[in-house]
Amino acid sequence: MNKAFAVLGLFDTADALMQAIPKVKAQKLGRLETYTPYPIHGMDEALELRQSPLGGMVLVMGVIGALTALGFQYWISAVDYPIVTGGKAPWSWEAFIPIMFEVTVLFATFTAGLGMLLLLNKLPFFGHPVLGSKAIKAITRDRFALAVEADLDLDAPAARAALQAAGAVEIEVLEAPEQAPFLTSDFILRTLGGIFAACLVSGFVMFWAIKLFPVLPPMSHMQDQPRLSSQQASRFFKDGRGMRMPVLGTVARGYLPNATGTQEEAASMPNPLPRTPDVFAEGKAAFTNRCSVCHGAIGNGIGSLTAAYGAKAANLQAQQFRDYPDGKIYWVIVNGKNAMPGHAADLDETQRWAVVHYVRALQRAQNAKDEDLR
Amino acid sequence: MKATTSGTPASSLLIGIATLGFIGVTASYFVSGPERFWANWILWFLFLFTLALGCLFLVAIEHLVSARWSVPIRRLPERLSTLLLPVVPIGLIALGAVPVLYPGAKPEALHNKLLAGKALWLGLPFFSARTVICLVLCLLALAVLVKGSLRQDQSKDPQFNVRARKFAPLFMAIFAVVITVLAFDWISGLTPEWYSDIFGVYLFAGGFLAALAATVLALGHLQSQGRLSAVRRDHRFNLGAFLFAFTVFWSYIGFAQYMLMWYANLPDEVVWYQVRLQGGWHGVTLALAILHFVVPFFALVTRDAKGDPRRLQWVAILMLGAHALDLYWLVFPVLGKGVLFSWPEVSFGIFFIAGALLWVRRSLTWGEDMPVGDPFLPKGLEFHL
Repeated sequence: MNKAFAVLGLFDTADALMQAIPKVKAQKLGRLETYTPYPIHGMDEALELRQSPLGGMVLVMGVIGALTALGFQYWISAVDYPIVTGGKAPWSWEAFIPIMFEVTVLFATFTAGLGMLLLLNKLPFFGHPVLGSKAIKAITRDRFALAVEADLDLDAPAARAALQAAGAVEIEVLEAPEQAPFLTSDFILRTLGGIFAACLVSGFVMFWAIKLFPVLPPMSHMQDQPRLSSQQASRFFKDGRGMRMPVLGTVARGYLPNATGTQEEAASMPNPLPRTPDVFAEGKAAFTNRCSVCHGAIGNGIGSLTAAYGAKAANLQAQQFRDYPDGKIYWVIVNGKNAMPGHAADLDETQRWAVVHYVRALQRAQNAKDEDLR
Repeated sequence: MKATTSGTPASSLLIGIATLGFIGVTASYFVSGPERFWANWILWFLFLFTLALGCLFLVAIEHLVSARWSVPIRRLPERLSTLLLPVVPIGLIALGAVPVLYPGAKPEALHNKLLAGKALWLGLPFFSARTVICLVLCLLALAVLVKGSLRQDQSKDPQFNVRARKFAPLFMAIFAVVITVLAFDWISGLTPEWYSDIFGVYLFAGGFLAALAATVLALGHLQSQGRLSAVRRDHRFNLGAFLFAFTVFWSYIGFAQYMLMWYANLPDEVVWYQVRLQGGWHGVTLALAILHFVVPFFALVTRDAKGDPRRLQWVAILMLGAHALDLYWLVFPVLGKGVLFSWPEVSFGIFFIAGALLWVRRSLTWGEDMPVGDPFLPKGLEFHL
């Protein structure tokens, strides 16, 4: 037999119970607890129960919740990623209040619920010994029980005597329950297994629910957008293409017209870029990446491909090309010439003109005049 | 247990203070001008009206839901709601403010396209008619709920409870209309181009809070004289919890109204708050938020505080002051002269407070201290938390 946990004394009326409480209490045998079929007014005072600490816990956690929500929103909206919304300053406390309110309630209710269950009701304490007593049926019907309880060292005979002296009509001694440790590996495994099984079942149910009942579509609103992707066909337009051509005769802002005519027609195009170190640096980079393999590092037509494959690119140092106007070189970069492909897709507007400047610099460097050296 | 109050030193003192206030009130009309006079007048008219109406609401809601716990203290809001009787002449006099303070009733309104469209509604004849109808409806409710209850003291007729319970839902409808009309006409009407749907609820929250505070104060006063000794901590706790809940409700409504307008930032809506967030009014707005919400919230948040008579007394006094401040904040900015607070406001305050106290002192002798004819009184006395 385990150690005694509690001694129950049964009374016939609530009044008899209330009168017995001070008599037993005076003996100081252990913790007093009552089990009654219905709540009895004045019981808290008679047992001299302390006021529950739950209210204070809820207040503290509520305040922490409010501050957490405030901190989160302050960090997101005002520090980490400030976006002006609706013309308001990033730090606008008015907009934070509703969420602060919600989080306060969330923290407070969770504290109240979990605090009550875990801290005050001592869960997981699955079976209270009183539930296994012989008197439990009577307690839930018409008897009023006063229990002297102690976790250790309960003086059962003394408690029995005290309850009898106080007028209990029946006495029952309860054994201490098997005190299972809280976090056993079995408990953890069962909890994790339960969560896993719940995920599995709900995932399976959702999968088939979506399949069989199309009224429950998955959350894919971000994927199903009515806009057209590039290159996509569309029956909306007459030509069946989703992409539109620019309006005829117009030039987009910030873009110069491409050299679309013949090379002779392009001859008059001026180079819009100034001759600055930045432009030459950009031209050098583009020339090195795109042109020098064939035309050579100094533009003399002997690039690295010449030795390997016998490619014979134009010698840009030749008199013919030194006499070319800028526009003609530009036209060749865009459209290509002979075996050379057009580089319109590789080099943007600025890079092409920068390359023209750089070619001019290469030509000048190889054909320097006396005054250039002074 | 009846006490006579006339001729006691306290009532003589109150009569003296009220007389002093009356002299100041009369003088203020001629010295500081009619606009300020009428602004003060409608402030106190609304204060007493919402207070009395809130008390009547407290009585009616008890009948509506057949509450038992509040039967022992029901006589207090019943007596306080008789303030509706002096409110009738105060309200009729307040109609003099309409051509002075209310832009919709001035002749210039016809040149303003927005106001011209509402001329019928905002004009003096219909405005007065609405106010008179509201007052008549309230008197009717007072007659059914309060006079019937006082009569029950002698007759012990349980049929009164049946009648009151049937009348209570009707009263709720009347109450909703009256408080909304009151808020829209007398407060929103000061700035007729501005509107807020929630305004009636806002005024209700403040008025009901004031009514609860007055009930708590009256209870404390009677208990200090040894009357109503059967009312225990449990009853007080419920009143305290009510008071606590409605400070939160008032703030919720007030902030919800503010936040939506602040967010939308529409010029015609936001201007109302802009006036109240600039200059000295900014300080008044902050003081209102602190005195009407922060202080009472933390003063009443614990369980012990809600049943503590001393705590309840000072919170109740604070809430009555906060309700007056709330109405001051609603009415006075339209004068456009900054935060006016000087001898006219003080005179009005002491005149109306002393006058109301004189009335309430008399009313506290009407009928028994508890509704002894109510068959549910024993149940109410038994009430435990």
